This record gives sequence, structure tokens and C-alpha cells, in this order.
Amino acid sequence: MRERITQAENEFDGEIKKVKNLKELEEFRIKYLSRKGIISQLFEDFKEVAPEVKREVGKSLNLLKNKSNQQFEELKTSLEATQQASGPSIDLTLPEYKKDFGSKHILVQTLDEIKTIFKSLGFSIYEGPELESDHNNFEMLNFPADHPARDMQDTFFINEDFLLRTHTSPVQVRLMQSKKPPLRAIMPGKVYRNEALSAKSYCLFHQVEGLYVDKDVTFTELKGTLVYFAKQLYGQDLVYRFRPSFFPFTEPSAEMDIWWQPKGKEGRWLEILGCGMVDPNVLINVGIDPEEYTGYAFGMGVERMALRKYGISDIRTLFDNDLRFLKQF
Amino acid sequence: MKVSLKWLNDYIDINSIPAADIAEKLSKCGLEVEEMVDNGSKYNNIVVGYVKERKKHPNADKLSLCIVTDGTEDYNIVCGAPNVDAGQKVAFAKLGAVIPNGEFVIKKAKIRGEESIGMICAEDELGLSDDHSGIMVLDPNTELGIPIAKALGIDDVIIEISITPNRSDALSHFGVARDLAALYNLEFKMPKVELNSSSNNVNNAAKVIVEDFAACPRYVAKVVKGVEIKESPEWLKSKLTAIGLRPINNVVDVTNFILYEIGQPLHSFDLDMLAENTIVVKKAGDIKKFVTLDSKERNLLPEDLLICDAAKPVAIAGVMGGENSEVTVNTKNILIESAYFNPSSVRKTAKKLALSTDASYRFERGCNPNITVYAAERAAQLIQQIAGGEILEGTIDVYPNEIKPKTASLRYERVAKILGFKVEKETVDNILSKLGFIVLEHNETAVTVEIPTFRPDVEREIDLIEEVGRIYGYDNIPTIQKISVILDERVDQSAYNDSLRSFLCGYGFYEIVTNSLLNEATAKKFGNPIKMLNPQSFEMSHLRTSLLPGALLTVARNLKVREKNLKLYEVGHVFERLHENEIKDFSDFTETDKVNLVITGKSEDSVWYGKDKNYDFYDLKGYVKSIFAKYSLDSLKNDSYYFTNELLWEYGFRLKKNDVVYGIGGKIKKEVLNLFEIDQDVYNFEINLDFLKQIKQKERSFKELIKFPSVFRDFAFVVDKNIEYITIIESIFKGSSKLLKDVKLFDIFESESLGENKRSLAFQLEYYNEERTLTEEEVEKDFWKTINYVKSNLNAELRG
Repeated sequence: MRERITQAENEFDGEIKKVKNLKELEEFRIKYLSRKGIISQLFEDFKEVAPEVKREVGKSLNLLKNKSNQQFEELKTSLEATQQASGPSIDLTLPEYKKDFGSKHILVQTLDEIKTIFKSLGFSIYEGPELESDHNNFEMLNFPADHPARDMQDTFFINEDFLLRTHTSPVQVRLMQSKKPPLRAIMPGKVYRNEALSAKSYCLFHQVEGLYVDKDVTFTELKGTLVYFAKQLYGQDLVYRFRPSFFPFTEPSAEMDIWWQPKGKEGRWLEILGCGMVDPNVLINVGIDPEEYTGYAFGMGVERMALRKYGISDIRTLFDNDLRFLKQF
Repeated sequence: MKVSLKWLNDYIDINSIPAADIAEKLSKCGLEVEEMVDNGSKYNNIVVGYVKERKKHPNADKLSLCIVTDGTEDYNIVCGAPNVDAGQKVAFAKLGAVIPNGEFVIKKAKIRGEESIGMICAEDELGLSDDHSGIMVLDPNTELGIPIAKALGIDDVIIEISITPNRSDALSHFGVARDLAALYNLEFKMPKVELNSSSNNVNNAAKVIVEDFAACPRYVAKVVKGVEIKESPEWLKSKLTAIGLRPINNVVDVTNFILYEIGQPLHSFDLDMLAENTIVVKKAGDIKKFVTLDSKERNLLPEDLLICDAAKPVAIAGVMGGENSEVTVNTKNILIESAYFNPSSVRKTAKKLALSTDASYRFERGCNPNITVYAAERAAQLIQQIAGGEILEGTIDVYPNEIKPKTASLRYERVAKILGFKVEKETVDNILSKLGFIVLEHNETAVTVEIPTFRPDVEREIDLIEEVGRIYGYDNIPTIQKISVILDERVDQSAYNDSLRSFLCGYGFYEIVTNSLLNEATAKKFGNPIKMLNPQSFEMSHLRTSLLPGALLTVARNLKVREKNLKLYEVGHVFERLHENEIKDFSDFTETDKVNLVITGKSEDSVWYGKDKNYDFYDLKGYVKSIFAKYSLDSLKNDSYYFTNELLWEYGFRLKKNDVVYGIGGKIKKEVLNLFEIDQDVYNFEINLDFLKQIKQKERSFKELIKFPSVFRDFAFVVDKNIEYITIIESIFKGSSKLLKDVKLFDIFESESLGENKRSLAFQLEYYNEERTLTEEEVEKDFWKTINYVKSNLNAELRG
């Protein structure tokens, strides 16, 4: 019996050194340490050992068991550590579980940029109805009936008195009627023009208009404010010009152009907004004394800004809402 | 409108100013240049050459060998023209020139073995005429070596200007020249008219009766007899073609020339076609139809202003002449009309007839009533000059109420008040004078000017300030670096919607913006829509009453490109009629700000990890409930009403408060989806944001975090299928003490083994007390009390 224990111990010591990985370790465990393994077998045979040597044999048998268990555990721990260090067994390159992030429409994002800049200058934000009266959309804004100026804005009429607003200026009218100067606000919103759908024009677009009425508001301040705005939006090295223009509700009126230089193409002047000093007739219409107060107003189209900024050539893309488009922004 | 710089040069000396500079200045003074075409540029590398020598080509009978010089160098040229000869000045295209007709580039060539370096051009090759009979031989005095465009006088620059509706005065070369005079501080000169009239008086040859002075404040007529209608001379034709007009005959060309020179529309009648040689200006009245000179029959309204003779209409005043009296090759005697018509009257007629002509365009914007005689006389002079004939003495001028120039004053300090900086008094006065305003009086503080009648847009001080500003140059106005900010209340009416947008984006929704205009059938399916009076097309004839149709159109469009899993929202206005009567007031319709959510397809797409779940009703309910949680609004539980088979939905729920439905949605019916060719389930929910904004949000305040542990109890009930979840929940809370804080449904199980029409619902109950740790006994007691209550109340069985 003693020889068998010594032999088992030698074999154990020899074989455990050859174990290279957890798989071999498991085979090794089954051979020596399982219920039917060599060591269990020795304990089984131990029952038949003569009583006079039982104590001594028992002791060495227990020693063997403890020692081999200990060696096994040590090796197991070390092999496990080695495996962990060499990396997990899962495929980390499998594709992730997709998470949709969602987004605001590109027009709304562009509007947000514009709003942020004007908010930083102390402008409030007002909104108003899209279905307006001819009175608010035209007459209060110094567009006489039967005047060619009305041709500038092809209008969707509901009837003689109501229409889809052609600009957000009626919100200015509403604001000036409801509050006393000083008034400093922008008015974003949808406006409508009765034009055939094409890559260049759509029947509706988004506009942001601005208004500032107070004592001593001047054209220089208008210019300064708009230059600040345009530089925030298009960059500090912006090249710009102001050109006289005509809007019935402002006098003097101007348009602001920026020099647009697309890569690899010929540069050109690009109109980005219309502006001017609020026409005294408009102030009188809303009950503000034009001798005491002056004001400026401006307006810009959001679509054109977005198209330009993101290099979109067809305006209809904005209203098609193709998910592949929406996900790009 | 196109202007020719050469033409402008007749009235103002701009010869030495580069065209690009003129274009830039015009844009900066309010006459926006849209395009500038240098007509000379297509003749680049084509110069005046001199044929030094000509001999026969050794290898070809019909070809000549020439030596041509441009004054500095000699070139060998092979020429095929029969008329080429030594001693001629010719149009010589050098290497690199692009021949205008055919657009080929001149390169070095060998023709039948002889080298040819360039080409001698024929008229057709230069695009000047169809003549290809031989080379163009120039005047021997032409300067050698200069560009051919210059030599031929076709080195013109054409500038296309976009004229704003207020600047009717700028719709002519006179008008543009006047602005240039002010911009460059030059002198503007009107051509002098010197008439060589006969002794026959015009009043013996024609008569003018104006019946409506409001619509026709002035009518001027001149008569030229014995003209010969033929082609116009070269100078006139080239002036007209330069600005894109087609020459017709000498008399018509003169009237067109005057229109673009002075801005005064003229009309020439064949005097012999006018019954009793009489012009009557009157309203159409009973006359219903008239054939204009484009051979189209026009329908008239009683208030349209007509030019008639003693028997019939001969023109629609200020719009277009008639076929029955137009100038033809047989015309001998003409009557030139130079009138001033009321802008609004012409506009109404032109608009109604959808007929915009060069004349109506100017009349409706406002012409100059006091240029009419000058224009008529200048026309008569030119007609006599090129068509011969006799100008009858005198001018018929019906002008009972003279339109006198208005005056306006400008306070110098007001310029600074509006523009924000000081402009010197002298500068102000000078700018106004150059523009044609006559300074009547000026002192230290103000200047009073007479406003010329060609500027109907200028009436007030502010208009004068604009004139000063635009000529001074907006770019010369300083840009300030500092502004003041008023420290008053800030309002942001878009903040609520913007916050909702961000919230929905966080949930992975994409925002869409759809057309508010729909076709009638679609619009009517969703409400009582408002119809447009003048729709662009029948596809966009009605206003949307709901955001849903736009969303469904978007879903359909995306399905076509195989984007099947969509989570979209739109924020926008919808419009609804309140009754069938005419809309006369804002109270006759509603305009409402709404948000619409739409979900369709799979919430988790089939991917390698095996999850694959379709969006369903409970996803929709979850999103709506989150909106309420986010905005601390009243719990949905109390305000929700579920429904099945209603309107557009198979089933769904609505939000209601004080009998107002402010939100509705659910699973959209198949029949609705079929209209949009959508073949998968779609769920939507639309909320009235105007209403939502009014609902008072619950004040947010901190709730103490629970310090004591919760105790949980799980159990399952078997109940009749027709007992709704909400009933069971209510029953559980009713049967419990206040210790029960939350109930979670965690499983529903249906099986025949449970019995017919039964189902099992498994719940987890959560108990806690804010003040202390609960004991097992009190939870156990409360739990069993609840179980027994529900058992007896709902005839439920506890499942093992």
C-alpha cells in the first residue's frame, strides 16, 4: 500500500507539471481527484489495510490528498489567470445593439442657431398665426391694395380678406399693437408663397424676422447687429455688402449680400437677408409716433441658409423627410 | 431690364469707366445687377488685319495664299474666299480665337501643303449676318490691329438690372443714367428735340376726346403723314437687338426705342384706320370683346379703359394695341399716342387679362405725366428722320388737371437720426440735385425740394433720406461695434415646443416637416378643411386639419425606399373651419399648434442577438405618458378614455379635460392606411400644444428619499378575461392600507388549463413606510387582507 501511495505521489507530481491549460487540468482532475480517481481509489483500498499500519498509512494518504488538492487549486488559479490575461472568449467585434439618437429637423436646427445668436443680443421670440388677414399681412405693412409691391409676394388667398401669410411681419404688427416700445424681438415661423414646386422653390418656407423699436434706433445699429449675426453664423472673416432695396414696410430698405466662394467654383455675391428702417407709415398704423421712435426690421429665409450650409441642391429634399436624410443631421 | 452701356453713353459720359465698376456701383445704389455680358468678349483675338499680299495657292485653284499683318507681325494665311485681295482691311482671327458662329478654335493648320496661321472672317462667321459670299471687307480707314468688336462698334456691355417695384423711373436708359450721374457726379443730358413741322395743323387731321380723366389724366398725340414703312436703319436695329428686342419696322422700332430710352410707353396707330380720325378714351362699358395685335380675342370688363375711334375700340389703354389699327407695310399716316394712364386702372386690367406688356409694366408702376410731350415729339422727329413724311404742326394735349410736382422737406438732423451718422448738408443737397430734385429753399436746418414727376415713389422726408443713403452708399455708413441691451422681460414663445422637441429626440424620434397643403380628398378625410382660393395645383388645394396625413405620406414615402422602422414627430399648425359660411373673422376657423407622434415597424430590428419586436399600442402609450411625466402634468390615468373602432383608429385613447379632447391617437385603421398604400401597422398620437401649454403644470418639489427598506410580495390572480387590468389595480389599492405604495404587473398568462375565458395576472406589490422599517407581520396582514378583498370583489382565484 505504501508503495502505491508513493507511486501515486510521484506520478501526480510528474503529470501535473505537464498540464498546460484548463482543459488538460480537467482531464488531470478526473484521473486523480474525482470520485473515481486514483486518490479516491486509494481511500477505497485503505479499508483493507491491516489495522497495525492503518494509522501510519492513513496519515500519508491524507497528506497526499491535501497536497494534491492544494497543488491542483494553485495550478487552476494560475491557469485561469493566464487565460484571462490572454483575453475573453467572446467576439467583441460583433455589431453593437443599435441605439437611435433621434434629431430635430435640419430646418429647426438652423432656426435654433439663428435664435441663439439673437437671444444673446437680448431679443425676445414671438410667434403668430399662419392664416392671417390681408389687413395684418399687407395693409398694416404699407402694401396698398392694387400696388405692384404685392406682386413681390405671390399669395395664397382664402378669400378677399384672409390669406396664408407671405412673411412673418404680421407678427411684428401684432407685437407693436400689444406692447409699447422698447421692443426687441425676432419672429420665426412658416410662411407661404404661391409658387410652382421646383428644386429652387417650395410653396412654404421658414422665415425669421426681427424688429427693434426704441428711441434713437438707427441704420448704423441695424448694420452692426446684422454684421455681428452674419459673422457668428458664417465666420469672422466674412466679406459682405449692403445694397439698397425696396420693401413697402421699411424705408430706407437694404439687402445684405455675402461673398460666397464654393470650393472649386467661381465666387459670387449671395443675398442672405432683407432689412431696413421701419417705415413711418407702419409705425403710425400701429399707433407709435415716428417722430419719437424709430425702428429697424430684418428678415431672412431659413431654407436657403440650410441648403447652402449643408450643400443640398433641391429644396424639396427638406420636405420629403426620407429617413436616410433625417439621420444625417 | 437690360441696359446697354453704349446706349447710356448717349446721355452721360461713362466711356472711361470700367464696366465692372459701373455694375458694382449700380448694385450698390439699389439697381441690382443680375448679369453683365460683355458682347466684345466673344471676339477675343479677332482684330483688324491688313492683307499685304495675295497669290494663288500652288495646289488648289480656289484657294489663295495671303500675308496678313496685324500691324506688328506678318502671318501666312490660306483663304478660300473669292473676294480676298491685297490692300484690304479685314477681320483677322488669330490663333486661339473662337469663331462666334460654330464656336471652333483657330489653330495652326496645313491646307493642301501650305501653312495657315489664322483666318480671315466672313460676316456669318462673326455672327453678324448670314452672308457667306466672301470675307468681310472693312473700311480702309479702320485702325489696324484694334479688336474687331471695337472697330465694328459692337464692343458693348449689356447689364441686366432687377428693378424693384418702387423704381418705375429706372425702367429706362434715362433713369439708369440719372442714377449714374449722381453716383459719379457727372452730368445727365437729355437729347434736344428740334422738329421740322409742316404748316398743316394736327387739329385738322385728328381729334382726341377723353371721357375718363381719372383713368387717363393726360393724352398727347402727334401726327406724322406720308411715312414709308420699312426696315429700320442699322443704328436703331443694333440698339434694340443689344437689349434683346426684335426689330419690326421703322415706326414700331422708334416707339420701342423711346420706351427704353425715356421710359414713356408710346403707341402708333394707322391714322387711316381710325374712324373719323378720332380717338376716344373711355371705359369698356358694353364692349365685351376685343382682338389685340397678337391676334388674341380678349374678354373685357366694363371698367377696363379702352382707346376707341369714333366707331370701335382700337387699343386696351396702356396694355396693348389692337389688330385693327396697327401699323403695317401699307400704313402712310400715323398717330403717335403718348399718354399717362392711372397706374391702378392699368394694373387691374393687365392683371385680369394676365397680360403683362412692356407698356403695362411701366404704367402700373407709375410713369411721368410730364414727359409725354417730349416723348411724342422725339418720336415724331425720329420717325421723320428714318421714315420720311411730314410732321403736322402742333401737339394734341388733353391734360385738364395738370399734375404738378410735389415738394418735400428734409431736416438735416433727421438724416443722422435715421441713418445714425452725419451727412454734410452740401452732400445731401448735391445728391438730391443730381437725382433730378430741384432745391427750392434751404437753410441751416432743412432743405425743401421739388420732387420730379418721374419719381412717384418719393413723397416724404423719409423717402428723401433713403435717396441720400443709397447714393451715399450703405457701405460707407459706419458699422457700429456696440449696442445697448434693454434689461426688460424676455419672452420666448418657442421655448415650450423646443423643449418638447429635445425631449422626443432623446427618445430617438426624428423630426419631420411636411407640407401644410393637401389635396381635397386627403384633407377631408381628416377634418373640415379650409380651401384655398387660388391653389397652385389640385394636389395642394386645402389646408391640413391634422398632422397625421403628412406623417402617413412620409411613412409611405419611406416604405418605398425600404425604411420600414420609423419613429417620427412633427410640430406644426393645423387649420379647421368651424362652419360652412364664408370666413370673415378669426373666430370662423381655428389654427392650432400640434405635435404628432407616429411609430411603425420594429422597435428592435431583427439582428444577430435575436430580438425582434414590433412597435405596438403600449409603446405609443408609454411615449405619451412620458410626455406627461416630463411636463409634470396630471396623471394620464384620470384623463384617458380608451376606445375601439372610432374615426381613423382601430383602437386608441384620447386625452380629455373639461370635455375638451386635446389629444387622440392609437392604431390606425387598415382602410386609412390603404389610402396611403401603407401595408404595415402604424400608431400615432396627436396632442394640441396650445391646450397643453395652458394646463397648469404641477409645481415641482423635492420628495424625501425613502430611508427604510421596501417589502415585496408577489402573487398571481386568475380572473375572468373581461375584467380589465385597471379594475384589478383599483381593487388592489382599495383592499390595501396606505402601506401599499406600488403595484407592478409582471406577467399575463392565458391557457385552457385556467378554465374557459380566464387569464392569470401576476403582480408584485411594494410596501414601505416613510417613518420606519415595516415588520413582516404587518405586511403579511395587509397582503392577505388585499388578496381576500380582490378575491371576493372580482371573483378572483389566487394562483398557486
